[in-house]
Amino acid sequence: MVKKSLMFVGLLVFAFFVTAPASAQAVRGVTDTEILIGQWGPQTGPAAPWGAVARGTDLLVKIINDEGGIHGRKLKYFLRDDSYMPAKTKAIAKEFVEQIGVFAVVGGVGVATGMTARDYLMENKVPWFSPVTGVYEWIHPIQKYLFAMYPLYDDEAFNLTGYLHEKLGYKKIAMFYQNDDYGKQGVMGVDRYLLKKNIKLVAKISAEVTDRDLSTHALKLRESGAEAVIIWTMPTHAALLLAETAKIGFKPQWATSNTLSDSALMMGITRGLWAGMINSFFSELPDSNHPLMVKYREAHKKYAPSERWGVFYYAGIAFAEPFVEGVRRAGRNLTTESWIKAMEGMKDFQGIGLPVTYAGLKDRQGGKHVFYGKVKPDGNIERLTDWIRITK
Amino acid sequence: MLKVKNIETLYGLIMAVRGVSLEVQEKQIISILGANGAGKTTILKTVMGLLEDQPDKGTIEFMGKRIDGKDAEEIVHLGISYVPEGREVFPELSVDENLKMGAYTRKDKKGVKEDHQRVISHFPILAERKDQWAGTLSGGEQQMLAIGRALMARPKLLMLDEPSLGLSPILVKEIFGIVKTINEEGTTILLVEQNAKMALKISDYAFVLESGRIVAANTPNILLEDEDVKEFYLGIRSEESAKGYQRWKRKKRWR
Amino acid sequence: MFGQLVVSGLAVGACYALIAIAMVIIYKTSEVLNFAQGEMAMISTFIAFTLLETHQVPFPYALALTFLFAILLAVFFELVFLRQAKDPTVLGLIIITLGFEMVLMGFVGWKWGPDQRALPFPVSNIEAYNFYGLIISKINFWTLIVSLVLMFILFLFFRYTKLGIAMRATQQNQLAARVMGIRTKWIFSFTWALSSMVGAVAGMLIAALGVLDPPMMMDPLLKGFASGVLGGMTSLPGAALGGALLGVIENLFGGYVSLSFKSVVAFAIIVLMLCIKPSGLLAKHYVKKV
Repeated sequence: MVKKSLMFVGLLVFAFFVTAPASAQAVRGVTDTEILIGQWGPQTGPAAPWGAVARGTDLLVKIINDEGGIHGRKLKYFLRDDSYMPAKTKAIAKEFVEQIGVFAVVGGVGVATGMTARDYLMENKVPWFSPVTGVYEWIHPIQKYLFAMYPLYDDEAFNLTGYLHEKLGYKKIAMFYQNDDYGKQGVMGVDRYLLKKNIKLVAKISAEVTDRDLSTHALKLRESGAEAVIIWTMPTHAALLLAETAKIGFKPQWATSNTLSDSALMMGITRGLWAGMINSFFSELPDSNHPLMVKYREAHKKYAPSERWGVFYYAGIAFAEPFVEGVRRAGRNLTTESWIKAMEGMKDFQGIGLPVTYAGLKDRQGGKHVFYGKVKPDGNIERLTDWIRITK
Repeated sequence: MLKVKNIETLYGLIMAVRGVSLEVQEKQIISILGANGAGKTTILKTVMGLLEDQPDKGTIEFMGKRIDGKDAEEIVHLGISYVPEGREVFPELSVDENLKMGAYTRKDKKGVKEDHQRVISHFPILAERKDQWAGTLSGGEQQMLAIGRALMARPKLLMLDEPSLGLSPILVKEIFGIVKTINEEGTTILLVEQNAKMALKISDYAFVLESGRIVAANTPNILLEDEDVKEFYLGIRSEESAKGYQRWKRKKRWR
Repeated sequence: MFGQLVVSGLAVGACYALIAIAMVIIYKTSEVLNFAQGEMAMISTFIAFTLLETHQVPFPYALALTFLFAILLAVFFELVFLRQAKDPTVLGLIIITLGFEMVLMGFVGWKWGPDQRALPFPVSNIEAYNFYGLIISKINFWTLIVSLVLMFILFLFFRYTKLGIAMRATQQNQLAARVMGIRTKWIFSFTWALSSMVGAVAGMLIAALGVLDPPMMMDPLLKGFASGVLGGMTSLPGAALGGALLGVIENLFGGYVSLSFKSVVAFAIIVLMLCIKPSGLLAKHYVKKV
């Protein structure tokens, strides 16, 4: 036993001498003049509309570099297209770590895609800030190098149902969701709320991602007699469902997730049926007078005038701002540890997105707030509430 | 009318026709005889322009015009029709539709109607079966349809490939009778046959083909007297041993 | 509810039928399953979208130009890719169509971006006719009418015109067709053009029913294929019947059995038909006498 402990100490000492000089010399992805960061996102394929997030981050990088970078270092941003295919995402994560050697991964849309990279990044101690989906996978179990920000779908759905039931007085509520992780965590939240109030969903209807004909789904929803219907799907399915229900004259109060908060897009593809939709938001509205929004809009005109100024484009900014803030707070002596320390101490930091607070290793779900809005007939949003805390 | 000069045709690397020349005069019936694989069908396909980039060498003239290298569509238009070996009707088209396809390149509706009448007069059975799928016809009926279909193009030269194949002797006789009538009505005929006896009966002149070469050419009367032709193509044995069986295989003169 | 399920089943079935017909046209002449069918229709629809939305071209002209594009696209593909294949097997050709599908998908994503859009269409996809309590939306109604008219025209074309019969002839016996003086290569190009046009109609109707985006034809293509297998890949009336049947069966299954398994119905039908009657419901096949 004694022998063993001695050997262990010996190994530790050995390890210290071997590794210590290396870490003092260099931090992966950080040089005197640059900080390397990466993000994957679907630029092609069925999920490509959400690829705008990764391009939005690029805009923030340009703005920061234009202002001289952070403590004398400029950000170098690597954007890779994973087409929403998990196998590709994993390969990209490997490229980021083994070939490029990034300091951190920022953002990244998709649950299945991110899950293939999560453990790999953690094993290699690569910080990952804010996967752009609100699922539990990012905080269960809590990981030292992973900071989540996107409001949890479960809590969002829970709170949205409460809003419909308590504030607006709807008793008969139905749910239409996509049959995958994203949709199911929405269902979880809705069910959780209703169970507490001892009411049942009048209908719970799912669609496969590939479905293109939702006429039966629409009929079933009408048959249920729902007064309000919560939608937890991708944009296409929401649009198809609204068209189908409009045909058969079914007009409940619609409500949906903030993943469908791009009302300009939704108004377009639903030919105006989107008006009246209630949903939550995780960042300022597109036409907001928030000083940062004004600044970003101007930069957008300058650097990427061909991009549409949509919610998911500037979400790429919103979900990267706290990361940048952490780098700033870590100071000139930027290491993985100093950055994590800075992040862990972050309290109520807010850019254009929701406020972000972390608490050491106990709480890695930084974003806990949303606000509600209702789509006006002209496609603009009427803000219904201020930021509301949805995660306890 | 048709002058084939020294053509060589390749199937990939195999030379199927090795320098064949033959001539067909107007209003004649000309036969090409030979065993299986002698290259008879290849000659017809070469004339018809069905083999890409063939003939490799040699020329083909029809009515004083070079036609080698032209595609089938043009050759049909110039007045050659081809009844392929094994009938090759369109099995899931009706008999009438099959005939309609025979006149595919023609624009003169009145003439097509006349020819349709003519075909029906040669083969009355085709009128009875006009709405039936061609694939459901008997072998003899299919052969009649194939010939009728070829006639719908109003050809100057009709090329028939093994019309007797797989038919009963009575049917063969009937078909050859009709071929003769068609010829008498003014259509020149180039006939490829294994059934030499039948072919020689109606031909004005015949070529004997072996291994891609012409080995004999003459009028039927003379060919019928030829020992080799008799033995190898007509199945008439001239020498038998006293014991009643042949003791040696006769050697062909032209080898 | 039953009547409503049947009516909307027929409407969506009409779209499946059009895709099935487009596939059958090509399959009949060359035995090639065109997996690029959906994407060819999709890109044609994007062209229609650009003409209507960006250039404000009046609908009839936009339609004509879209057809022209569909034809050129198909002929281009046939001439440049399929015909160049060295010693093509049917499988090889099918794989070329798969490759083309991916190229088109990538191209559309690059050219038009990934966002969903609404195709401007003369018929509203929201307003509806009410026939004694049975509600059928205008777009569904006109989809049905357009499909029926198109099918009828195609039926007459293949039945009575010389060109139509020649196309069938080419499929049944290429050698004999050439002997008849039919330019079979030209017929193949024409086949692709015709199929692409029918596909473009299906694409526009599907986009008008829902939204226009690059993956919009993935599901309909599968359903169209299932319809073809159900009705018979070699029979136009079979494809039409298969589409209508599949639409109705799917809807009834979704309405009365299970909505979550609705999309599996098409797969089940493909497998079932291949086991029981591989030629499909309406395809009578002549067995060649040897």
